[in-house]
Parts: sequence; structure tokens; C-alpha cells
Amino acid sequence: MNDDQMDELLIQGVRDYNAPRDVPREEMWKRIAEARAEARRNVAPATPAATGRSQRRWLWPGVGVAAAAVLAAGIGIGRFIERGTPAPTAPVAAATPALSIPKSETPDTAAQTQQMIEALRGETRATDQRARDLAAAENAGRASSTSSGNDRSPSANAPSAAEPNLAFRLVMLRHLAGSEAMITAFRSDARRGDIDREMAQWSRELLSTTRLLESSQASRDPVMRRLLEDLDLVISQIVQYTTRGTTDPEELEFIEQSINKRGVMSKLRSTIPARGIPAGT
Amino acid sequence: MSLVRFGTSTCTPVTDDTRLRDRQLVHQCLAGDALAERALYDAHVERVYRLMHRMAGDPDLAADFTQDTFIRAFERLEQYRGDSSLATWLHTIAVSVALNGLRKVKRIRSTTEHIDEATALPAEPGRGFPADLKTRLHAAVDALSEKLRPVFLMHDVEGYTHEEIATSLGIPVGTSKARLFDARAKLRMALAAFAGDHIA
Repeated sequence: MNDDQMDELLIQGVRDYNAPRDVPREEMWKRIAEARAEARRNVAPATPAATGRSQRRWLWPGVGVAAAAVLAAGIGIGRFIERGTPAPTAPVAAATPALSIPKSETPDTAAQTQQMIEALRGETRATDQRARDLAAAENAGRASSTSSGNDRSPSANAPSAAEPNLAFRLVMLRHLAGSEAMITAFRSDARRGDIDREMAQWSRELLSTTRLLESSQASRDPVMRRLLEDLDLVISQIVQYTTRGTTDPEELEFIEQSINKRGVMSKLRSTIPARGIPAGT
Repeated sequence: MSLVRFGTSTCTPVTDDTRLRDRQLVHQCLAGDALAERALYDAHVERVYRLMHRMAGDPDLAADFTQDTFIRAFERLEQYRGDSSLATWLHTIAVSVALNGLRKVKRIRSTTEHIDEATALPAEPGRGFPADLKTRLHAAVDALSEKLRPVFLMHDVEGYTHEEIATSLGIPVGTSKARLFDARAKLRMALAAFAGDHIA
């Protein structure tokens, strides 16, 4: 028997080796879906209970004052980085309204930039912690109201219902401001091919907070929910990009498309009331 | 010698469109879109299951490995970098799941039982291929080492490219080619030991 005959035998012989028959597609999917649902239950911290309370709009000037400090720092770093970018058409800077950081407050060195990023990351972590505390308090409150019976009287519900809502709004606005700062810094850094571990970590922290807020009462407002979903998508992309740590123009373009297609930056700007507040207030 | 690839090749070239679609699908899944998860599953389950079945030789094990593959893939979707196609990335997980699973199975089954199962395979009549020769060949494929067998099955039975195999197994393309060469050589030797009588 020569080699050709041997090959022919081999070809015929292994063709039906462990040959699969029908793929149990639905049966397998059922188990996968169950496992996915279980995983989601374990990860999701708090699902807001459906209540009959009317949803309020988020454009709340009072909270904006509190968010202004974070926002000003975010815009400051973003604008500073934009100015250092050779590309003349920086979409974020071009669309930014007349909100300026005093010259004395702009960072003059890389070290100062680093300090500002550190400060913003610190804010991100604080916001995340606050969101977690609120979610935990919300859970605890729901559990105690369940165990103490169905007291539906307004006097029993009103104070506790108002406070978390207000607190969640504040956390939400801080988060949006931090997200805007990070996306702005990322776009500028990425255009220069300058992505570091710091940015990867910052984006991961923001993604974590975004998901936490998505499953909290902060997402009751449909506008906010959509914005959080958009942020989730964009920040996920940024996390992937920055974690990889290598420059990929094609991937960068894809992220840019996501940001523009969903109008993330314009939504952020129109949602954060501090935009109209002069920097430094 | 050139052995013709005879597997059911379902390879699709990794085009920009494919990558874009992969990324969009991944991003939708990461955003919690259950329909996107199902779409990802539907797009890849057939090929993954086929390979799992070829490697495991058992429908239940193949289903277990396939499920594990997708569950792990969804859990780690954030880690998908887009360097390779989503299909290749999934197969990296699948091969790892299968090899680990088969090691556990091997620990349970004795070698004798394994050979008995192989020789007990029903022989396919017709096509002029001697049934006992086929069972011997199948047993020889079973007996290939953990390094050679996946490469042989992926390339010569399922029609994967060396690039896909290399990425899935985490080895250089040259190593994939060398392993395929070794696997074929071993199978030819196994065949030669039994084929002579039949052909003569």
C-alpha cells in the first residue's frame, strides 16, 4: 500500500470519528440562560422596588451646585488635555460652552495633571462608595418595612422616601460629571496614543458605579436609565481598550462612533445643570 | 505527502465586517442585552458543539462542555479584546474546557474501558472501508496524545486553519503544523499495521 492509498484510508476512516448528530441547541441554551440569570442575581446589588411615586425630572439646580466642584475639575483636566492635543478639531472642546477654568487653576505640568486625575479618581471612588451605601440602606429599609407589615400611610413613607431619592440624584450627578471627565481625558489621551494603567483603572471604577446605579432607584427615570445604558456601553469599550494598553486606531474609531452615535457627551452636558454655572462656584 | 483536508470546513474569513459585527454583539451583551446573548450563542453554538463532540465522543459530555464554554464566555466577555475573531476566542475557551473536562473523565475511566469503548463502536458498512480497520483507526485517534489529538481533529476532521488552531491552543502556527504532521504519521503507522492484510 502506497502513501496515496494510505491517505485515502485515513480520509475515509476518520470522517465519521465521533461524528455529532443533532445539536441540542435549546436544551443547552436553557441551562446557559439559567446560569446567567443566577449570576446576575448574585451580582446585582439592589433592584428598585416598583412604587407608585411620580418620577421627577433630573434637572435640579440645587444638586448641581454640589456637583459643580467635581465638574469644574473634570472640565479643567479635559480642557487642559485638549489644549495639549495637536489635533485641531477636538469635538469635546469645540462643543464645550463658555465655561472656563481660570488660568491659575490650569495644570502647568504633567505632575499637576496627574494630581488632578488622582483627585477625580478619588471622587469616583467616593461616589461609588456612596452609591453602595445608599443601595444597602435602600435594601435594609425595604426589608424592615416588609417585616413590620404593610403600613402605607403617608406619614410613615414620606420622609424615608424623599431622602434616598435626593441622595441618589446627588450621587448620580457626581457620577455623570466624573464620567464626562474620564471620557474627555480618554479621547485626548487615546488620540495621542497615550493610554496608561491609571486610565484603565479609572474607567473600570466608573463602569462599576454605572452598573450599580443602573440597578438602583437612580435609574427610575427613563431618561437617566437610557443615559446610564449608553454610558455602560461606552465605558465598557473604554475599559477594554485601556486594559489592553495598546493603540488601535480602528478600535478607537469604533469607540468614537459609539460616543457620537449615542450622543453621550451632549446628553451628559444637557443633563448636568452645573454646565451653566461658572467654574469655581 | 499532501493530505487533503476533508473536514466540514465552516471557517469564515475574518473580515472587517465580521470584526465589527463581533464587537457590536459583544458590546450589546455587555450592556445586558439578553437577545444579543442569544444571537451570539446561535451564531457559534453549532461549530463549538461539533468540536466538543469530536473531542469528547459523547453527546452528554459535548453538551456539558458547550454549555460551560458559553457560560464562561459570557462571564469573561469584558476580556474579549477583538484581536482575533469572536469565534476563535470562543474556541480558545472551548478547547480549554474540553481538555480539562477530558482529563477529569480520563481519571475516572480506566484505559481498558476506554479501549473497549473504542473497539465497540459500530462499524459503518459500505464505501469499501473495512469496519474493523475503521475501529482500529478510531482507537488510534483516541490514543493520540493530548497535544496531537486536538490539532488533528480541528484541522483534518473539522477543517480549522492552522491560524485558528494556533490561537485556540495558544501555540505558534509552526507548532500546530508540526503536531499535525506527527499525528498523521502516528495514524499512518497504526493503519499500516492493520491495513496490509485487508488491502492485500
